[in-house]
Amino acid sequence: MRKYLARGVAAGAIALLALTACSERSGDGGGEEAGSAKGFAANSLIGVALPAKTSENWVLAGDLFTNGLKEAGFQSDVQYAGATSTVADQQAQISAMVTKGAKVIVIGATDAAQLTTQVEQAKQAGATVIAYDRLIKNTKDVDYYVAYDNFKVGQLQGQALLEGMKAKKPNGPYTIELFSGSPDDNNSGVFFDGAMDVLKKEIDAGNVVVGSGQKEIKQTATDGWKAENAQRRMDSLLTSTYSSKTLDGVLSPNDTLARAILTSVKGAGKPLPVVTGQDSEVESVKSIVAGEQYSTINKDTRNLVKETIEMVKALQAGNDPKTNDTESYNNGVKVVPANLLEPLIVTKKNVVEAYANDPKLAPLTTGAK
Amino acid sequence: MSRIKELQKSLFAGTTSNARQFGMIFTLVAIVLLFQILTDGLTLNSSNLISLVSQYSYILILAIGMLMVIVAGHIDLSVGSIAAFVGIVVARAMQDWSLPWPVAILFGLAVGAAIGVWQGFWVAYIGVPAFIVTLAGMMLFRGGNQFIGSADTIPVPEGFKVIGAGFLPEVGPNTGYNNLTLLLGLLVAVAIVVREWKARRTRREMDADVAPMWISLIRVAVPIAVVLYAAFRFAGGRVGTSFPISGIILGVLVVIYSFITRNTAGGRHIYAVGGNARAAELSGVKLKRVNFLVMMNMSILAALAGMIFVARSAASGPQDGIGWELDAIAAVFIGGAAVSGGLGTISGSIVGGLVMAVLNNGLQLMGVGSDRVQIIKGLVLLLAVALDVYNKNRGRFSVIGSVTRPFRREAPPTGPGSNVETDQEPAKTPVAG
Repeated sequence: MRKYLARGVAAGAIALLALTACSERSGDGGGEEAGSAKGFAANSLIGVALPAKTSENWVLAGDLFTNGLKEAGFQSDVQYAGATSTVADQQAQISAMVTKGAKVIVIGATDAAQLTTQVEQAKQAGATVIAYDRLIKNTKDVDYYVAYDNFKVGQLQGQALLEGMKAKKPNGPYTIELFSGSPDDNNSGVFFDGAMDVLKKEIDAGNVVVGSGQKEIKQTATDGWKAENAQRRMDSLLTSTYSSKTLDGVLSPNDTLARAILTSVKGAGKPLPVVTGQDSEVESVKSIVAGEQYSTINKDTRNLVKETIEMVKALQAGNDPKTNDTESYNNGVKVVPANLLEPLIVTKKNVVEAYANDPKLAPLTTGAK
Repeated sequence: MSRIKELQKSLFAGTTSNARQFGMIFTLVAIVLLFQILTDGLTLNSSNLISLVSQYSYILILAIGMLMVIVAGHIDLSVGSIAAFVGIVVARAMQDWSLPWPVAILFGLAVGAAIGVWQGFWVAYIGVPAFIVTLAGMMLFRGGNQFIGSADTIPVPEGFKVIGAGFLPEVGPNTGYNNLTLLLGLLVAVAIVVREWKARRTRREMDADVAPMWISLIRVAVPIAVVLYAAFRFAGGRVGTSFPISGIILGVLVVIYSFITRNTAGGRHIYAVGGNARAAELSGVKLKRVNFLVMMNMSILAALAGMIFVARSAASGPQDGIGWELDAIAAVFIGGAAVSGGLGTISGSIVGGLVMAVLNNGLQLMGVGSDRVQIIKGLVLLLAVALDVYNKNRGRFSVIGSVTRPFRREAPPTGPGSNVETDQEPAKTPVAG
């Protein structure tokens, strides 16, 4: 019995495979309309590849993409990279989207320099590639970049830090520490440069002193944007530098790291410094309302996703999507046309107005005034 | 019952076999067909097969080395970190010293060998358990990666990308297929025929039972059908693509290492050491040297895997290699290796790795999130091993049983119920792919 069964199965399988065996050379994506802006079917598949769910923002963005694309009539495939093997996962996900015939692939890169092969694959299959929030480096195959103006974010963080310290203690010199983001994220450097654009003058004038002397981006980097790494670095800074000195302010590139820094300072029993942030995470908004974290940046993910979907719609209709900066974002191979949105700095003063339209954050701000 | 068993044996694996291994081949076929239906034919789509191979070739290369480590009764947790370390060293070397890329590959292998010497020394000559040595290596080389790369991502030159993202060139007349890929398929098909013919001749010369002709025909026809089908699929992708170079590297390694582990004394020593180290040593196996070489070999393959990944990603980054050791170990165990050592085959591990790969890929094509993919992969690993353990306890389908049965007729039984893994005859398993 089993003998016949096994042979039957094997024969059936071979027959099935043989039926499907034919060359895709002529019909497979690449031929038709590779790269041209002729538009595509309104119910096409749109792929969205996002990094691991390490920050609330990405989770929110994923949900917004799923719903927004559905409303716009597209099919969507929204994927997050796995928590451990992030880069390899994202590579595989993008390949899968290409195989499924996605017309536009929106990529929030895990490691912006390690997607060259997949982006090329997407391009050759005729898909348009939009780099979302993080610019994909070293490839000619990325078509558009959509993000908040990150240099501006850095500048706003620098200004907020100075204002916050001035409000606490009218006269300097102020002692600060600098933190920057993950070194594999293109944005980390942009934030840091923006902030230093504001802080450098003050540091040179002697009004602001970096207590540990660690001013280089390599020294201040936080691997993988991980809170534990920032906390560890802050712990050691407090031990090495601030056993007698007071720390007035800390430049933190985002909220997760800001809270880690505050946790570390609390753990050491020191007075809380002015700490900046970014992303408007729930815990940080609470913290700002409670007067602990000084500032965050509102880069409303809703707007960014909305803007991205607008670009997808424009591509679908065969039009050029909106761009407002065709000079500044060079990825190492080409200048990528960018669609930049303006960020908003949020402190305890304007927290109520800033989140008035945000269903999740608005209720948290009631105690602020 | 016994007739079916014998038929199974003669059909799938000559005289001896590993029940779980052909169980896994069936599972693999079933999973492929399942996903082929669930994804509306995307699974066996040319471009998907091509990305599948290039995505998992480095994990499968690790699985080859890991199989030998596990057979020898050890484990290696450091492979991911070594891969990342070698990746960054090579990327740096090409960037800072402008090392030509072929030299850089040799340099990378040399670094891998040096690391292997280091780890092998501690395991074999000092006697520190491999678990500890490689746990240390995992931290050491992860740190080394970040130290050398300043936790930064370093791009690699275009030429280097060949080993990870390269394809065979388009030559000859326009057939609508990649001609070299078709040729490759043909070569493999011929190899399968020659192999079977040689096996028959050997058995005849040795006056052993030769399987009936129709069995030989099936054993040749089925793999050839699969190989030719695969060749047409791989050759039929987008113009400029073919069977990936990384897949060819993998294939060559599989053939070489299968030969070493099955047909050479050195290879059999690994099984002897893993089955019963004391007995092996008393029989004249140079225990330390075997352990040393196995650990060293693993590091060299890890170095190669790391370079292939870097080539595919076009850059070496601080997150490379995280979790690879676990993927490789999972592939080996799903492929039928024994946790206690002494048992397992290269081809089994490759099949085990492919099961994971197809599962991963198929779920991704269906749009299942990576969180759920991980849950499913975890369950598959557990079930695959549990099923084997359960069957062994019930006396059915047992790995040990199927290994020892052929000896019972000609030779006196080798110690009833004892641990006889070491006596496993060189398995005449057809090499998949």
